[in-house]
Amino acid sequence: MFERFTRSARLVVGEAVEIAQAMGHQQLGSDHMLLALAGQPAQATSQALTEAGVQPERVREAVAARHRTEDVDDEEALRTLGIDLAAVRAKVEETFGEGALDGPRRHRGRPRLSPEGKKTLGLALREAVRLEDHYIGAEHLLLGILRAGGAGHDVLRSLGVDVAALRRRLETDRAA
Amino acid sequence: MTDAKTLTAAASADDPRTGLRAALALRRLADSLERLQVLNARRKGWSWQEIAEALEVSRQAVHKKYAKEL
Repeated sequence: MFERFTRSARLVVGEAVEIAQAMGHQQLGSDHMLLALAGQPAQATSQALTEAGVQPERVREAVAARHRTEDVDDEEALRTLGIDLAAVRAKVEETFGEGALDGPRRHRGRPRLSPEGKKTLGLALREAVRLEDHYIGAEHLLLGILRAGGAGHDVLRSLGVDVAALRRRLETDRAA
Repeated sequence: MTDAKTLTAAASADDPRTGLRAALALRRLADSLERLQVLNARRKGWSWQEIAEALEVSRQAVHKKYAKEL
């Protein structure tokens, strides 16, 4: 499937992998792809995103925050056993300093495509087919992210982006 | 702990979803602590063998898991 990707789309996916790895995330999803797209200044897609009010820094914060909620879930889960994770963490940090317990939560090694990420790439292909293009470019990736309704879409919504308007904009840009 | 929380905890005690989620959280915590103390032990000059014995695993297992971090 990647042979039908344009060079820039391949670069976007590659960049998304590096982003997920740098952030220490285990899985690569449409949110990392969105961040990669937002950070590419010369692309028509990043222009569309900018004009929709999307700032790369806000996207980065939102992506990081999404993956941090795992900690909150762990706290609640341990509370059901009578374990106060915050207290355990505090005790450990007394001896070893701040963030001592955060180590392995940072995944090392190459992030793997999440099921949602795979779905997003599949939808990008379908968008290209639907629009009768013979390649999959950055714009199809972004359309796939919007259509997947997953992590990337949720990040955009949380930033107040009108997803439907953005989709229309991307489709008209293409036609031009 | 409020009464509401105690009730909720009791009600979900035999729910596999809750229980498995707690097991996962505990496993992640155990992994964090293990890593922290393995690195601590190495900094204090413990051998891989001594660390392995304390964790009741093989020397190879502990070495494979942590050597690359040091």
